[in-house]
Amino acid sequence: MFILFALITLLGAGAMILQKNVITAGLCMVLTFFGVAGLFLMLSNPVAAALQLIVYSGAIMVLVLFVIMLLNSHEEEPAKSARPIQRWGGLALCLVLGFGALRLALKSPAAAALGAQATQARAMTLEQVGQELFSSHLLAFEVVGLLLLATMVAAVALTKKEL
Amino acid sequence: MDTLAHLTGLSVATLWMLAKVLIVITVLMGLASPLTWVERRGSAMLQDRIGPNRAALFGKWRILGLAHVVADGIKFFFKEDLVPPHATKRLFWLAPMLAFVPAMMGFAVIPIGRSFVAGGHTYHLSLLEPGNGMGMLYPMAIGGIAVYGILVAAWSSNNKWSILGGMRASAQMVSYEIGLSLAILAVFMVVGGYDPHQIIADQGAKGWLIWRQPIGFLVFFTCMFAETNRLPFDFAEGESEIVAGFHTEYGSMKFAIMALAEYFHIITASALITTMYLGGWQIPFLPNASALATVVAFATKVVFLCWVFIWIRWTLPRFRYDQLMFMGWKVMLPLSMANLLLNAYWMRSH
Repeated sequence: MFILFALITLLGAGAMILQKNVITAGLCMVLTFFGVAGLFLMLSNPVAAALQLIVYSGAIMVLVLFVIMLLNSHEEEPAKSARPIQRWGGLALCLVLGFGALRLALKSPAAAALGAQATQARAMTLEQVGQELFSSHLLAFEVVGLLLLATMVAAVALTKKEL
Repeated sequence: MDTLAHLTGLSVATLWMLAKVLIVITVLMGLASPLTWVERRGSAMLQDRIGPNRAALFGKWRILGLAHVVADGIKFFFKEDLVPPHATKRLFWLAPMLAFVPAMMGFAVIPIGRSFVAGGHTYHLSLLEPGNGMGMLYPMAIGGIAVYGILVAAWSSNNKWSILGGMRASAQMVSYEIGLSLAILAVFMVVGGYDPHQIIADQGAKGWLIWRQPIGFLVFFTCMFAETNRLPFDFAEGESEIVAGFHTEYGSMKFAIMALAEYFHIITASALITTMYLGGWQIPFLPNASALATVVAFATKVVFLCWVFIWIRWTLPRFRYDQLMFMGWKVMLPLSMANLLLNAYWMRSH
């Protein structure tokens, strides 16, 4: 099962990058979201899986595809000249970031606990998420709320010429 | 069940799951085609016409136009399967599946009757067991991806009408999902849980949520029409303005699958409304009804709501597009927000 979902995620991501067509690339990204949601389920976190589908594939990607359709530019513009620096720089950055992420994941206490106990994990519930958010992450939660409000006000101010 | 499990070598849980999947799929399939008939005959009844009555089985039995369902099915099978030359072929083929599969999946979490005990095993009448952690988030997630069928169909057809339909569908879906989510949130808050079994049990104990949250019900009900793309909100199709919107280019079995998906959406939406606001499988004044009776009660409510969907389609005219957006953002959203705050205030003061 893990292999299946991991393959879906990786293939979706790979296809998204290689795809020339913007809409197809967007759909491949949705596929990736599905794979990630499946992985969340395997980590016995159905809440994260559901939120992943609701927020990312249900709202954000729909809006992104909407904007692409609105602009009606279905093909990417061809590059005027090949830029090998971008390609190699991107690859190097990918490797560095990937290595860092891998090291962090392997060093985290969760990974250590994974080997120690093979007991059945209890499924995450919405109540637990709420309690966690409002007790140990309260400040971050409030800051994110403020940030979103500021973004919303900015978006309205940018699009509305006269208020 | 035990002997069957012994004979097939499968566990009782697996067998029961298989049985449930079979039952739900056959019932959904079996309900969708009569619904097309109800739509035709019902619209005729509402508009004082006779409706379809020409097709006859073996040229003899007209049986109230029911033969039209069979004739339509045969016709769809034998029609030429056209793919327009400028379409993106693979996506064009994929789109009906993308519309169809989520429409079927949404039903999985809904309990269709009381759980019962037989032969030492407890049988739950929903595909996903209670306490799975997904609860009512699951139909919301599935409802969110249902729009991709329409979007992909619209875009792959490579046709201006289709793309207009697809864009309308995506904008509409996103706008109405916010009001819908807030209405659902109020239900979670009042019930104190988000598992459908919990929601139904709470409604059995304290009264149906349609009485306790009339505003929430109104918002949820309206948003469900928008989510299922039914009149008065069928802007993705909008046949008087954009021919047939997202399925302009579709014919034969591909069109049939899309049409079936719409009816599945109606059934799932009815089941969701029943679960959230009409007490699910509860029977009023009969708290200890048997499992079979509760299944019948649930089916009755769902079929009635399906009829309401059809009834409203042939009663109300389509809104204008700006009216739709006005409704979504300036009526439904504030209403459901007010509903949420009112409920929160009420819970705090009691």
